[in-house]
Amino acid sequence: MSTRILIADDEPLYNRLLQINLLTEGYEVITAVNGEEALEMITTHSPDLVILDIMMPKLDGITACERIRQFSNIPVIMLTARGEEHDRVQGLNVGADDYIVKPFSATELLARVRAVLRRTQTSRDPLQSRFFTHSNLRIDFARAEVWKDDKPVFLSATEYRLLIQFAHHVGQVLTAEQLLVAIWGPQYREDKEILWVSIARLRQKLEDNPHSPVHIVTRAGLGYLMPPNEKEFVKGEPT
Amino acid sequence: MTEPSSVSVLPSVELDNLYAISQVITRVSHWKPALDQIIPLLRAILIFDNLVLYLPNSEEKGLEVAYARVVGRGRSAGPELAWGETVANQVFQSGQIYLQQPQPEKTVEERLNFPYLLGIPLTLHDRIMGVMVFIRFGGPAYSSDNTRVAAFAAEQVAELVQHQQIRQQIESIEAERQQARLQEDFISTISHELLTPLGFIKGYTTTLLRPDTSWDESNRREFLTIIDEETDRLQELIDNMLDSARLQSGTMPMQFQPVRLDALLKDVIMRARVHHKTLQIITNLDNPISPVQGDPQRLAQVFENLLSNAIKYAPGSTVVISIRKEENRAHIIFQDNGPGIPAQYLPHIFERFFRNPEQAPNVRGTGLGLYICRQIVEAHHGEISVESFVGEGTSFHIYLPYEQPKKGSHLVKKSHSTKS
Repeated sequence: MSTRILIADDEPLYNRLLQINLLTEGYEVITAVNGEEALEMITTHSPDLVILDIMMPKLDGITACERIRQFSNIPVIMLTARGEEHDRVQGLNVGADDYIVKPFSATELLARVRAVLRRTQTSRDPLQSRFFTHSNLRIDFARAEVWKDDKPVFLSATEYRLLIQFAHHVGQVLTAEQLLVAIWGPQYREDKEILWVSIARLRQKLEDNPHSPVHIVTRAGLGYLMPPNEKEFVKGEPT
Repeated sequence: MTEPSSVSVLPSVELDNLYAISQVITRVSHWKPALDQIIPLLRAILIFDNLVLYLPNSEEKGLEVAYARVVGRGRSAGPELAWGETVANQVFQSGQIYLQQPQPEKTVEERLNFPYLLGIPLTLHDRIMGVMVFIRFGGPAYSSDNTRVAAFAAEQVAELVQHQQIRQQIESIEAERQQARLQEDFISTISHELLTPLGFIKGYTTTLLRPDTSWDESNRREFLTIIDEETDRLQELIDNMLDSARLQSGTMPMQFQPVRLDALLKDVIMRARVHHKTLQIITNLDNPISPVQGDPQRLAQVFENLLSNAIKYAPGSTVVISIRKEENRAHIIFQDNGPGIPAQYLPHIFERFFRNPEQAPNVRGTGLGLYICRQIVEAHHGEISVESFVGEGTSFHIYLPYEQPKKGSHLVKKSHSTKS
């Protein structure tokens, strides 16, 4: 099976440029014109590598990369403009594997693609699911959406990130400190109260009975966990 | 200066008034009207005749009177009264409350010359922001309760003064940031516009040059066509930037001669059709039309710009171009039935680097085209204006006089950049 590469750039001439060069190397190439389309295509076409332009309509490359990392370890190369160091740093921070600065030469592009594929091929887990379910709860990582009993639940950015922490560590007890550092940052290490308030709010939104939670459970003296017993991963499309 | 010797319970009138003062502080955002409201409340619980507020002057080199009210004895005395300036400076230096209790007074005149003075620093977070001086002509002496009430009032006023200062600072920082943002927008527009064609030229050239691959004829043609077109685009951008800089600095040479607008327009339309084969243009020309005195190359540039704007921003729309004969001038109209321009952007569209923010991300452009049009039209002593309705379309009107004024240089006058 040949290596499949997804290109996402809103400039058709860049898509074409990348495509013709990658095709000569025997890669299979698919293209998207914005971040939303790229995320959809990752889940439907399972590419082996994604090349994301940063400046794209609908969903920019940085946000798209951040969302990809919620459910997938697929290698990502960012395309950035010269002089935008800030973008490059941000891209690497949200989990990109490398970046290519425009204008670039065809040989540089191919060399970087080869290098990233070589680096990542052996050490990566296979693609995880875009969807996560926990009894009546469903998360769509690609769209950053949460559903309860097939009804959308509107979470704040902080609430969503908190929920993702639990979803990524099902069955593990997470301490208050771990959660505070992961979501609010190290300076909030001691700030237990904001975590309590956020968990209470999350339970209000997600639990049938917030006083007897099933999704986010308190382990007295230890921390919180999403219990494993009802966990099930659903591959592909939601039911 | 006296220390409060013991804690005393304030009578309820005083509590009520102190509460009312703190309410004024939270409701009124400027310290001057706030002080006007506080003074009667304060005076009911603390007797004083004059109140003066001193704040550092803008160079921070000394105190300046910022507010003064005569509310009791001495209303008629005016500048001859004591205003506590020495006390204020002393308090500002030391940061300590200052209390001046004169010898028991004798005559009315002596009372006015040797008043009771209470100087209170306005202190916030260890920073002295100013001094408030209470002046009383005649006894009784200020008690320690009086001092505490005055200190409370001073703290409240200090909060307000600081609040107002911070707000002024925020406003000036905002203005600076706005300026910086405009500058940044310009730089990022220009660099994006320059780098995009450059990126394609670099990318497709190096694709052709790849040592490990040979391309067939149709690929080679495709890549070379892209390189050719992107080179033109880069050339156009650089020309626009140079033109706009020359027009801005008034160094654009103009070759005036009689120009037949209908013939000029036909040339422009013909050239546009080479690249846009499906372009629908209707012309509507008064006949015969007198020639205008103008620079044919520059006027063609104006027409090309307006036509290419219609193609870019009103895709698929028919463009109606009319030339109408008026008494001393020709009236040219470019009309499309595209999406139109929202009213709030219309006053700005002839400004240098301005772009409709709703279109800017989707359509290539530098924000120079209409600016150049306006400069060229004005160099012909003409006028250009726009009319647009969202959902209906946009019309550009150009008025060009048949004759140019006899005198004057053939260089563009420096533009009045504030005109919009």
